[in-house]
Amino acid sequence: MSNTAKLNVIGLLFGAMFGGVLGAMNLHEYDTIHAMLRLDEPDIFLFMASAIVVSAPLLWLLERTGFTTPLGGELRLSRSKPEAHHLKGGALFGIGWAIAGTCPAPALVMFSSGAMLSLIAIPGIFIGLHLRERQQRGAGHSGDGEHRDLVTLSK
Amino acid sequence: MYDLLPDRLPWFIGGPILGLLIVGLFVLANQPLGASGAYVQTAGLFRRSEGVVKWRVWYFVGLFVGGLLVTRVFREDAGVRSGYDALREVFPLGVTVPLVLGGAILLGYGAALAGGCTSGHGMCGTAQRSPASLAVTATFMATAILTTFILRIATGGAL
Repeated sequence: MSNTAKLNVIGLLFGAMFGGVLGAMNLHEYDTIHAMLRLDEPDIFLFMASAIVVSAPLLWLLERTGFTTPLGGELRLSRSKPEAHHLKGGALFGIGWAIAGTCPAPALVMFSSGAMLSLIAIPGIFIGLHLRERQQRGAGHSGDGEHRDLVTLSK
Repeated sequence: MYDLLPDRLPWFIGGPILGLLIVGLFVLANQPLGASGAYVQTAGLFRRSEGVVKWRVWYFVGLFVGGLLVTRVFREDAGVRSGYDALREVFPLGVTVPLVLGGAILLGYGAALAGGCTSGHGMCGTAQRSPASLAVTATFMATAILTTFILRIATGGAL
């Protein structure tokens, strides 16, 4: 199996496991996100925090030991400095997240769970991403985190 | 279909599992477990753009499949419904639809501008101790909580 094929299988499996965890935590439900942002219950904050508490030291250790990944070369973590676009983007994302009560990954789980208003949310996310991508096309990506490896799509 | 899972997995089980998934994708492929990038690549595939990162499209498919297994196979299937129960109790469908659409467009635009979303910056970026991700996460948490309180006040406490 080629490395590209292996990466595709890994993508599918990790997507499925992540989607499964989101579904198991009920994060695909508007009511769960809304209760979190109303500060009615701490569970989702604790869920996020505990994921970071587990992953951050392990990543730090792996990077420190110069770990080489089988499919992506030496492990390198992103340490971008905050710029204006991070704050502006974060602010708009937060407003949209509170109104729509979902974000990109949970919206897909919302659809697979049978909640039909996801058919409004998912195209909306695509439209919003497209509007920004169209603005920045040709100017290189401004990414960090998951967008750090994005190529500027040519069309 | 089956009733194998609790109504909600406890955070102290779900959180560490997610943490290990984040580490696992870095260990295998040196990649962050983010979702908005997967939307961009999937849109690129449909537009037949060059340079599409295919594994992110498979990741996009995986999110749907994993959600399907957990919400409709491993758990009692809630069936086809509108979703957005708390919002629907306050607003009719004619208001809910533009609200959800407008919110989704805003969050999509914001994610692209910030270079990531809740998973990319909030989880993976923070786990990498990226200052930019910490700034994005603090900003979106603050505006999301503020917006929720504004919505609550605007609806007289109904939402």
